[in-house]
Amino acid sequence: MITITRRSVRIVAGLLAAGAIAVSLAGPALASHVLVQTTTLGEGTVGGTINVPVTLQAADGAPLQGTTVIFYLHASFAGVEGEAEIGRAMTDENGVASIAYRPRLAGHHEIRMEFVAPAGGEVEVTSTAIDVTGGGQLYRSPAGVDVPGVGVELLMVVLAIVWSILFWVVFRLVAIARGGGEVGTPEPGPGR
Amino acid sequence: MAALSEWERRLEETALAPIRRTGPRFWALVVALLAVIGWGVYAYWVQIRDGLVVTGMRDRISWGLYIATFVFFIGISHAGTLISAILRVSNARWRTPVTRMAEFVTVVALVCGASFVIIDLGRPDRILNVFIYGRWQSPIIWDVLAITTYLTGSITYLFVPMIPDLALFRDRLGSHTSRWRGWLYRTLAIGWNGNATQHRSLASAIGVLMILIIPIAVSVHTVVSWIFAMTMRVPWDSALFGAFFVAGAIFSGIGILIIVMAILRRAYHLEEYVTEKHFLYLGYLMAAFAAIMIYANINEFMTHGYKLQEGVEFHFRQLFLAEFAPLFWFYLLGGLVSPIVIALLPATRNVRGFVLAAVLVTVAMWIERYFIVVTGLRVPLMPYEPASYAPTWVEWSLLAAGLALFALLITLFSKVFPIIAVWEVAEDHEATVASPDTARRAALEPSKLEGETAR
Repeated sequence: MITITRRSVRIVAGLLAAGAIAVSLAGPALASHVLVQTTTLGEGTVGGTINVPVTLQAADGAPLQGTTVIFYLHASFAGVEGEAEIGRAMTDENGVASIAYRPRLAGHHEIRMEFVAPAGGEVEVTSTAIDVTGGGQLYRSPAGVDVPGVGVELLMVVLAIVWSILFWVVFRLVAIARGGGEVGTPEPGPGR
Repeated sequence: MAALSEWERRLEETALAPIRRTGPRFWALVVALLAVIGWGVYAYWVQIRDGLVVTGMRDRISWGLYIATFVFFIGISHAGTLISAILRVSNARWRTPVTRMAEFVTVVALVCGASFVIIDLGRPDRILNVFIYGRWQSPIIWDVLAITTYLTGSITYLFVPMIPDLALFRDRLGSHTSRWRGWLYRTLAIGWNGNATQHRSLASAIGVLMILIIPIAVSVHTVVSWIFAMTMRVPWDSALFGAFFVAGAIFSGIGILIIVMAILRRAYHLEEYVTEKHFLYLGYLMAAFAAIMIYANINEFMTHGYKLQEGVEFHFRQLFLAEFAPLFWFYLLGGLVSPIVIALLPATRNVRGFVLAAVLVTVAMWIERYFIVVTGLRVPLMPYEPASYAPTWVEWSLLAAGLALFALLITLFSKVFPIIAVWEVAEDHEATVASPDTARRAALEPSKLEGETAR
């Protein structure tokens, strides 16, 4: 027969407290044991789409599914430097989260990725880099209604017609200047 | 015939008089205008040295006095070319003594208006960005194209009908004028001697230009309005803006034309040619456009006010009741209603009355342009306090310099070029004298006709 004594209660309570302390201390330690794999992105071009993947696995190699990863890019705008969020994605059944990124500027870009492991705890950080070349105009305003022929071409046609008529007037002036050499009867009206 | 040739001789003398005689008052005016322009140059230098921070414009109200004045000048540029061309196309014979002045106003106003865009840029070298980075889809580019075409067309339209008069100056002044003037008239007269070939070429050139210039002029102010109407701002969200701007442009153009006519008439004693009839006809035209403007305003405010979308209530309040109310009511009553009242009342239906109406219209239309620009930008895009804008001394100085430049260029033009279309006035006079209807009326009302033909 088991007799519950005051001492045994103390021992059980002490073990439970020690267990709780161990678990609370071990949590972040477990998270920090997430295995992170990033891919070297290499080179890209301005306006081109680059896939930026990151793979998260538990310490035993099992993929971490359902973890949100936030992607940041170091950016500089109007004299202010900082990190801009360029996207967020959730890991799939293989533990992979990826975003499609279109670089707007040429140069060396550092992409930082942040996530919180499923067990909770501190934010984990990893990063990758890409070298971007090129410098094309990226902004394209999509036409709401694209009527064929109504656009820059029409503007050019109108301008060409107007300026052609103005040039025709110049030819009339040349004709007046050439006519100055002719001897003829002055007409009643403008001039002598 | 002797009476006719005497009348023509007097007309030629009147046209030549500004070139032959230059009094001290002319030089005093030129010096005064140059002083104002000089002060403006100093203000512009301050702006270039310290940047646009010396103006009242900031990030939220980024257009102010400069753009309002640009729109105003482009508006009054419609005085000449459009009014002259419409009257020429409609064969309104009474137009002949005033068309040249109107065409001067157009060219000078366009030059002054375009300079305010460059002033507004802050750094003038940024004008190159329009050509380097300009996009065909932008109304700014359309505006540059339209104004460039309009300026070219207006200069051509000013020059072509002036050729016979420049030849008159070349022949009459001859060696009696300075060397550079003689060279100028010889060059610009391009060998005109009035033969049949030249007449045909001149007639066809004028005929084509007067038709071409009307759609160009309409397009210019329509495109200027699109700079506002195609921007995502509640008060500018209007499909009526193009027509509204064109009507306002012609309206203010007539106003400034009446003022210029009155000044040049008095300065150069043109009473025989620029008569009360011209002021009355232009005054009636101005009153008609005042009615069109009233209609456009009612249309605009009714549709916006009925829907009262977000921001419109704030906009209406600032115009009708709050900060801008006194000047806005002046625009409505002084600028739009008074020209109609002046045209309707027999006591005010005269030169003085219409000149007063023209001054009111000109001031009111500048205020209207200012309100379109500033009050439109003042409506908050997000729920924060509305921004405020007050022009600084730099902006007021440049506005004064712009107006002085306008007056100076008109003054100098009048001293170099014929301010009356001599050959057109003479042609009109001959047609009036030769008309059988005139002869009949002469038999009935000899005293009245005498007065009319003298005009």
